[in-house]
Amino acid sequence: MVEPLRVVDSGLSSPLRSQTLWHAIAYGVSAGGRATLSFCRPAEPYVCLGYHRGIDEVDRDYCRENGLPLLRRMVGGGPVYLDSDQLFFQICLPARAVPAARRQALRVLLEPVVTAFRAVGVPAALDDDLEICLDDRKICGHGAGQIEDAVVVCGNLIQRFDHERAARVLALADPAQRDQTLALMHRFVAATPLDPAAFQAAMISAYATALGLGAQGGALTGTERTVLEGLDERFTSDTWLAGPVRPATARAGRPSARQVKVRAGVWTLGATYDGAQVAAGVVRGTVEKVRLHDRGLNGSTEQAEEALQGIPLHSVARVLTGFGDPGRRLAAAFATADPGRL
Amino acid sequence: MEETALVIVSGFPLALDRRYQAETHMWVLDTGPGRVRIGMDPLGIETSGTLAQLSFLPTGTELTAGRPFGQLEAAKFVGPLLSPVSGAMLAVNDAVARDPGLAERDPYGAGWLIEASVSETAGELSGLLAEPAEITAWFAARIAHYRLNGLLAQ
Repeated sequence: MVEPLRVVDSGLSSPLRSQTLWHAIAYGVSAGGRATLSFCRPAEPYVCLGYHRGIDEVDRDYCRENGLPLLRRMVGGGPVYLDSDQLFFQICLPARAVPAARRQALRVLLEPVVTAFRAVGVPAALDDDLEICLDDRKICGHGAGQIEDAVVVCGNLIQRFDHERAARVLALADPAQRDQTLALMHRFVAATPLDPAAFQAAMISAYATALGLGAQGGALTGTERTVLEGLDERFTSDTWLAGPVRPATARAGRPSARQVKVRAGVWTLGATYDGAQVAAGVVRGTVEKVRLHDRGLNGSTEQAEEALQGIPLHSVARVLTGFGDPGRRLAAAFATADPGRL
Repeated sequence: MEETALVIVSGFPLALDRRYQAETHMWVLDTGPGRVRIGMDPLGIETSGTLAQLSFLPTGTELTAGRPFGQLEAAKFVGPLLSPVSGAMLAVNDAVARDPGLAERDPYGAGWLIEASVSETAGELSGLLAEPAEITAWFAARIAHYRLNGLLAQ
């Protein structure tokens, strides 16, 4: 007999537990536990880093001053601000039950979320970038990962979104980039103020149907509780927070860059090279807003900014060559843009 | 290293000078007695999505076939890079960790992932695809399968 989908609702949880609870479930599923859909809501705000992302992407001083803990998850994506206006959900299955190709696995495991949104009256869609959207605005964050032999996809129902804080917690050296990031967040990230109980019921129904399983309320097993305690310890250690060992990227004499992804295809760039400084907002390959600084531009700064506005990213270098050496320095800073890696 | 000779199978480059593990799309190239270089073929990379991040366990780590030697992140999905052999990690490719796009641009060359010593007693190398004909047939079948499932452009 096929075992039903276990549904675990942990309710209001501490920031730490809002992460470690579902990681513990993933280890349980990996060890032979049932497919599980889990929910929780962080009682307090905090900042969470994707598995590979650098701790230096977060303004740690701001977080410390504002009592925002910083945690690292075992799934992908960037640094995000999380609070009690977000209902977290996680679907966790044995890896063997999920398509081996990641994009296919993500599509299969995110489609029920779209079904649930639609069931409660939100005409959401899963776009080609595998983001859950309403028109061109992202309405649900997600990340995914394989934890031992379990695959987990997590996301959130954003009932209200604090755009200002979401932009503020990021470490951005150039205030112009922060302004551009905030403006794009307002435009491309939206909350859906739904009844969370109705959404939760719709999620349970959508996943049970998609997986061909019944659904049954449950709780963490004894083994998962033991794992949970270990995870609490691991997630609060400096070693874990530091993240996986990565080779240094910055090299003397090379441009340095900071990119922030707002949603797929929408991002900002802050970059410097040899005294030239660029802050740009890019929407689907087109430069929308740009702020330039170079000592050699003299009175041409505004003209250069206007020349770049609305042009495709791949034309930036060509346009900037018209501004001599300063243009070449700015083009080198711009060339650090690598949105595919965000 | 010498430039790798490639054949094109249904639009994808394939190197026939090395072994492959069918399930994981990892290739294994002999680089000396008891020593191999490991990377991922273009199908494994293409079906993952754009590689955003790669991280590896420290050199010296003991490798077990079927267990992770690192993590790959693509499309916000973090998943294990599974070792096709048992042995020990001798070196990691820092260049590909800094720039995962290298594995997309040159999967059989500069985009290699790790170097390892292999345990001769494990006999795992003989379980990998090694004959050019079987490698080509497997590669073509995987492309057809992925295209049928919409994971590769036609």
